[in-house]
Amino acid sequence: MSAIDRTIVGQEFDRTTFAPVTAEQIVAYAASYGDPDPRYAAPRADMIAPPTFALSLRGKHFMPRHMPLHLGRNSFDAGKDIEVGADVRPGDVLTAVSTVHDVYEKTGRSGSMTFIVFRTTVVNQSGATVATVDQKMMFRGEATDEHR
Amino acid sequence: MILDLHAHSEASEDSRAPLETYLKWLQRKRDLLPIDGIVLTEHRQWDPSLDYRPLEDQYGIRILRGAEVETDYGHILLYGVTDAMTRRFDFADVRLSAQEVVSEVARLGGVAAPCHPGRPTIGLCEHYAAGKPPLDGVVAVEALNGGSRRGENERVQAVIDAYGYGAFGGSDAHLVSLIGICATEFDDDVRSIDDLVAALKGRRYRPVDFREQVRAARGAA
Repeated sequence: MSAIDRTIVGQEFDRTTFAPVTAEQIVAYAASYGDPDPRYAAPRADMIAPPTFALSLRGKHFMPRHMPLHLGRNSFDAGKDIEVGADVRPGDVLTAVSTVHDVYEKTGRSGSMTFIVFRTTVVNQSGATVATVDQKMMFRGEATDEHR
Repeated sequence: MILDLHAHSEASEDSRAPLETYLKWLQRKRDLLPIDGIVLTEHRQWDPSLDYRPLEDQYGIRILRGAEVETDYGHILLYGVTDAMTRRFDFADVRLSAQEVVSEVARLGGVAAPCHPGRPTIGLCEHYAAGKPPLDGVVAVEALNGGSRRGENERVQAVIDAYGYGAFGGSDAHLVSLIGICATEFDDDVRSIDDLVAALKGRRYRPVDFREQVRAARGAA
C-alpha cells in the first residue's frame, strides 16, 4: 500500500440549497427519533428545530465523484461530529456545502485503514452557520504483504 | 512515584476524553488510583506549543507529553520529543522504520519504546515471531497495556526475558474512566520529561496494575 493521496483535501463536492424549512418538517424530524420535547411536537410561533436538524438534510452527492482508487471498495461509516450554531426556524433557507476536510491513515489490530472526513457546513439565508457536520468514512484498502 | 505513561486526550482523533476531565477523575479517584502524573501520547502528532503547567498547578497532577507513532514493527511511544525529531520524522506517516525511529530518537536525546507489544499487527511480538531482526537499542517496552485484550499482555514477558528490555505500564486510555488503570511505579522522582527519559534508561521502575481494584470498586458500587 502506497502513501495516501491527499490531493482531494479541500475539494468541494456538493453545494445544495434547500426549500424553506417548514414547521411540518421540524415536527416530522423530532418525531422520527421520538423526541418528547413539546417545542417540536406541533407548529408554534416561536418554533425552532432540534439542534441536530441539519443531519436530516441530504445534498446531491454524499462523496466526491472521483475518489482515489487506492482506497479500496470496502468502507463504512466511522461516526460523525456536529457543532451546532444558530437556531433553525420555519422559513429558513439552508445551504449545505460539503468538502473533503481531511484524509489520514492509521494502523490497528486488523491492519491499515484510511479515514476520510467529509465536512458539511450548513448556513442560513443570512449567512450564519447553523451546523458544521464532520462525517468520517473508513476505507479498508487491499491487504499489504505485511498484513496478508 | 506512579505515572501513567500512555494516555490519549481528545487531541487524538479516536478519543473523546478532555485532559481536564482526566485530572478531575484522578483527583476524585485518588484512593483507588494513586496516580501522580500522566503522559499524553497523542496519535501521530506533536504540538510544541502546548503548555499544561496551569492545569498541573490547579490539580496537583504532573502532566508530561510524548507521542505515539506507527512503524513497520508496530506502534512506538516517544518520550522526550524535540523539534529535531519532528524535522527528522513525519509523525503522521504510518510506515516509519522502527529501527530508524529507535536509533534516531536515542541519538536526539529521547526514548522510543514499543507499546502494546502483544497485539496482533501493531505489536512488536508478532513482528519478532515472523522472523524480523530484533530492534537494536530498545531500552523498554510497555509490558502492561490497559487497552489490551486477554492474552496480549501475557505475550510480552517472553520478549522481555529474551532481550532484557525494561518493562513499564500505561493505561492507553481513550476514555476518562480508563485513565490510570495501568501505570508505572518509579523509584525516583520524575519532575520533567528529561527526568522521565533518564528514568526509563535507568530501569528503576516496574508496571503497576489497578484494573482488579477498579473492577472490584465498580462491582461494590
